[in-house]
Amino acid sequence: MRNALAVFAGGIIGTALRLGIDRALPHSDTQFPVSTLIINTSGAFVLGWLVAGLWTRPAVPAWLKLLLGPGVLGAFTTFSAVMVSLVSLGAASSWPLAGLYLLATLLLGFPAALLGVWLGGRIRHLPAADAGARS
Amino acid sequence: MNALVFAAVVAGGGAAAVVRYFVSRALPVGPGRLPIGVLIVNVAGALLGGVILGLAERAVLSSDLRLVLLTGVCGGLTTFSTWSVETIDLALKGRWRSAVLNLVGTLLLGIAVCAAGYLLAR
Repeated sequence: MRNALAVFAGGIIGTALRLGIDRALPHSDTQFPVSTLIINTSGAFVLGWLVAGLWTRPAVPAWLKLLLGPGVLGAFTTFSAVMVSLVSLGAASSWPLAGLYLLATLLLGFPAALLGVWLGGRIRHLPAADAGARS
Repeated sequence: MNALVFAAVVAGGGAAAVVRYFVSRALPVGPGRLPIGVLIVNVAGALLGGVILGLAERAVLSSDLRLVLLTGVCGGLTTFSTWSVETIDLALKGRWRSAVLNLVGTLLLGIAVCAAGYLLAR
């Protein structure tokens, strides 16, 4: 129950943030969805950094991981909006824009996740290093 | 957008995030295996998104309801961050087949069901 509450609270925050960026950078169904691209790229980076870095540290409580991971970042980023935009652009026969959007989403989002994981690894908690420091 | 619509969008997103959490917890990912829970949730959300897009085009749904269901429920249910990070994680562990399957499989299924939902609903 506590876990679900943490995810729910995080989901509210993530959805509100996404809605705010959507409002700040509005686009019609047939325009390039810049807001979603920014949201997904930045969200993939941050989640990668958290998973590979901060979350390896034992001091981080489980509820905070749930609030930020499946909650804030899970709800902030979206797969459905990408699909809906691709279908909208396709229905309007804007194939070059649809192709560009799909490529941009993949070629920015996945490297962003990789960069996050790589940078997060630099603050990774290593139990072995701990043991070495103590001895 | 009034305060009530805003509250409905964010509450829908929060509730959908809880559904995603329970589905992925019910289908735990084995090491190096396909993260099937997130795949199912993302594909289901893409289908729902296509149906809502089609209904909104027929003016069956108001723009407020479209916002609550698309931005709130579908947006909160599906995730790009977990999809990308789990795919990268599989690739870094040398599980290339699972990584490619997760990337391409989610994408192809997502586009197919979203387009089908849209075409059937509009």
